[in-house]
Amino acid sequence: MNTLDSQNMDANDRRRLVSKKVCMIGAFSVGKSALVERFVRSIFSDRYLSTVGVKISKKNINLNGTDLTMVLWDMEGKDDFADVHMSYLRGAMGFFTVVDGTRKETLNMALHLRNLALETAGDIPHIVLINKSDLPDWEITDERLAELEASGIRVMKTSAKTGHAVEEAFLSLAEAMTKGQ
Amino acid sequence: MSDKALPAPPHTETEISTHDGDSDLRKLRELLFARETAQLQSLEKRLDNPVVHARDTSEVIAEALLLRAQKDDMLYIALEPLTEKLFKEALRKSPMDFVNALFPLMGPAIRQSVAETFHSMLESFHRTIELVFSWKSLRWRWEAMRTGTSFAEVVLLHTLVYRVDQIFFIHAETGLVLCHVYDEGVVIQDADMVSGMLTAIQNFARDSFAGGPESSLDSLRLGDLTILLERGSTAYLACAARGVVPPEFRERLRNTMAALQIKFSDELDSFSGEVEKFVSARGDLEDLLDVRYVDEDAPLPLWIKLMPVLILLLFIAGGGYFWHDRQQRYLAREAAQAYMEESLAQVGQEPGLLLIEIRQDSSGHWEVIYQKDPLARDPKPLLDAKGIDPKSYTLRVIPYVSYEADMVTQRVKNRITPPESVSMEFDKDGTLRLSGKASMGWILQARQEALALPGVEKVDTSGLADPRIEELKSMIALVEGTVVEFPLGKDIPVSEDVTKLARAMDTLVRIEKLAATMNVAVNLTIYGHADATGNDKRNYEISQERARTIAAMLYARGSSIPIALYGMGSEQSGGKDEVLPDFRESGARQAAARDDQSRRKVEFKVHIVQLPPDNSMLNILH
Ligand SMILES: Nc1nc2c(ncn2[C@@H]2O[C@H](COP(=O)(O)OP(=O)(O)O)[C@@H](O)[C@H]2O)c(=O)[nH]1
Ligand SMILES: [Mg+2]
Repeated sequence: MNTLDSQNMDANDRRRLVSKKVCMIGAFSVGKSALVERFVRSIFSDRYLSTVGVKISKKNINLNGTDLTMVLWDMEGKDDFADVHMSYLRGAMGFFTVVDGTRKETLNMALHLRNLALETAGDIPHIVLINKSDLPDWEITDERLAELEASGIRVMKTSAKTGHAVEEAFLSLAEAMTKGQ
Repeated sequence: MSDKALPAPPHTETEISTHDGDSDLRKLRELLFARETAQLQSLEKRLDNPVVHARDTSEVIAEALLLRAQKDDMLYIALEPLTEKLFKEALRKSPMDFVNALFPLMGPAIRQSVAETFHSMLESFHRTIELVFSWKSLRWRWEAMRTGTSFAEVVLLHTLVYRVDQIFFIHAETGLVLCHVYDEGVVIQDADMVSGMLTAIQNFARDSFAGGPESSLDSLRLGDLTILLERGSTAYLACAARGVVPPEFRERLRNTMAALQIKFSDELDSFSGEVEKFVSARGDLEDLLDVRYVDEDAPLPLWIKLMPVLILLLFIAGGGYFWHDRQQRYLAREAAQAYMEESLAQVGQEPGLLLIEIRQDSSGHWEVIYQKDPLARDPKPLLDAKGIDPKSYTLRVIPYVSYEADMVTQRVKNRITPPESVSMEFDKDGTLRLSGKASMGWILQARQEALALPGVEKVDTSGLADPRIEELKSMIALVEGTVVEFPLGKDIPVSEDVTKLARAMDTLVRIEKLAATMNVAVNLTIYGHADATGNDKRNYEISQERARTIAAMLYARGSSIPIALYGMGSEQSGGKDEVLPDFRESGARQAAARDDQSRRKVEFKVHIVQLPPDNSMLNILH
C-alpha cells in the first residue's frame, strides 16, 4: 500500500487525480462489508481500518484517464441507524444503499436511509443495490424493482458472493460521481 | 467610675422641678437641693468632657456592638468600607507583616497547587514511558541508575526530542486527503485511509461528547504517535509527531493552516474530489516536517534551557516532598508490577506449568492463566511462597500434558517405579536412558510401559544391568573353568577332582535356578576327551562315556538342564577353547609322548538361551 501511495504522490504532478468519498448504508447484515471487500480485494487489498463504527477502505481505479481514489466508508450499522452515524454521511460524494434481496423489510429500511442520506449529503449520485442475488428465496419482486426505477431510483442486483455486478455497480457510481467535472 | 463627691442617695424630686423662676423658691431650692445641683453640674461637665466621655463609652462599647450585631446587619454595612480602607492602608504600610502572617495559611495551598502541577507533568511523563516501552526506555532506566538521577528527570530530558513524521492536509467535510507529506524513512499507512479514520474519529468525538459542532479535538494519541489537529474553516491539518512537540510548533502549524486556508479558499469551497489542485500545498507542508534531537551541540530553545531552573524553583516551592513521594510511589507501583510479572513468569518456568496469559485490568487486578500438567505443582502455593497476595489475582488453570523433560521423567517414574539402583535420564529428543542395576523382568516391563507414555520416543536400556547377570556370568565362568580329569581308561573322575566336580555341578544347579528367574534358559554341553593312547574308536567311546558319566551325575543332583554330550576322542580342544590351531596337528604326537592325564578330561560349556518373545533382550548378556 505504501508503494501505491507513493505512486500517487508522484502522479500528483502529472495526472488528473480525484478522490471520492463513498458511503455504504443499509440495514444490518445485508452485505455492505461483503460488497466492499469483494470490490476492493478484486484489485489490490482487503485491508481496511476499522474505527469508531466505520470501516474505511479504499480502491484506486482508472476511469477515462482519471486516477480515481474511492475512499469507501462502510457503516457498521445496526438495525436502528443511529443519528451518530449520519455524521459519516457528511461530505459523501456518492453512496450505495444496500438491500438484502431475501429480506423484504431491508428495502424499507434502505429507502428510509436513502432519504436521510440525501438530506445530509445533498443530492449526490447513489445506487440501491439489491444484494444476495445468488440466493433462491428472493423476496423482492421484479415489479417492485420496476416501480422503484420508475420513481427515478437506480437499482442494481448484485451478489457479493459470486461477484455478480459488483464491479459494474462501483464503476457505475464512480462514473456518475465524476460526470460533469 | 463614679465620683466620690456625689455619694447622695437619690431623693424624690418630681414635684419640685415645676416651680422654676421664683427667687424664693430658688433660695429654697438652693437650700433644699444644694447637693443635687452640684450633682447636676458635675454631670454636665462630665458630658462635655470628651476624655471622660470616651472613658465611659469604652466601658460599654463591646457590649453595645454585640447587641447591635445581634439585632441586624447595619454594623457590618457601616464598618465594611472602613475595614477595607484600613486593611489596604496597613498592607501598604507594612506588606511584610502580612506576608509573614499569611504564609502559614498560604504555604500549604501553594504547595498543593504545585503538587497538582507536578502530578499532571509526571502523569504525562509516565504515559510517555508506558507508550515507549522499548529498548529506549530501558536505556533511560539504565541511565537513571547509572547517573543516580531520577528516572523521570532522564525521561524529561529525552522526551524533549520530537519528530514530525507526516502531515496530512485534509478536507474537513469529506475527510479526503488533499495533500500528504512524510519524512523519509517513516513507515506510512495509507494516507487516504488514515485521513478517513481521523475524520471519522473526530466526527465521533463531536457527536459523542458534549460541546456541539464548534468544539473539536486538538490532538489524538495513536500508540506512541501524537496527532496534532489544526482546524481551518473547511480543511484541517493533521500532523503525526513523536515525542514532545514544543508549543512553538503548534504556532507554526496554526500559521500554515491559516495560510493554506487562504491560498486554497476557492478550491476548498468548491471541492468535489479534485485533489490534484492541492499539489502546491506540498511545499508549505514540507516546511513543517521537523526533527529535533536534544543534542549537546544544537542550540536549545530558551524554554528548554530554562526548564531545569523552572523545575528547580517549583521543586523548592513544592518542598520537594511531593516529587519524592510521587516518585517513590510510582517506582513502588512499578516494582510491584514488575515483581508480579516476574513471579508469574518464574512460576511459569516450573516443570509442567506454562504461563499462557497475564492481564491486568484498570483496577490493577491480575488475571492469570496457566496450563498445568497433572503432575506439576500447583501454581497457587508457589505464588503464595513468593508473597503474592492471593486477592490480587484470579487464577485459571487449564490442564495439559507437558512434554518437558522434567515432567516426562516424573511421569515415567510414577509409572515404572524404578528401584533406587536405577537412574533415569531424559534427552531432548525424547530418549529415556535408564542405567544402573535392575532385574531383567523389571527392565522389560519398564521398557514397554515407558514407551507408552506421552513424551517418550525411545527407551535406551543399554546402561541397565541386572545384577543377576553378573552373578550368572561368574557362575558360568566357574563352571566353564572346571576341568575334571580321569584315570587312564576309566570314566570315573580322578579322586582329586571330585570336589571340583561337585562344586561345578552345584553351581550348574544354581545357574539353572537363577536363569529361571531371569526369563532365560540354560543349555549345557559336556565335552569328553581321551588321551592319544589306544585306537580312535576306543578313544571316542571312552571320551563320550566320560561326558555321559558327568551328565548322569548332574541329573542325579536334581538338575534338568538340557545337556549335549560330545565325545571328542583324542582331539585336543573342547568346544570352548579353540586355541592355537597349530598345536592341534602336533598335539597327538606330543601327548602320546607324555601320556598326559590332563588329556583325559571333561570340559563344560554353558549356553544361555534367550526365551521368546522379547528379542531386545538378546544383547543383554553380551
Ligand atoms: N449468499 C450471499 N451472502 C451474502 C452476500 N453478501 C453478504 N452475504 C452474507 O451476509 C452476511 C452479512 O454480510 P455483511 O457484509 O457482514 O453485512 P453488513 O452488515 O451489511 O456489512 C455475511 O454472512 C455474508 O457472507 C451475497 O451476495 N450472497
Ligand atoms: Mg458490515
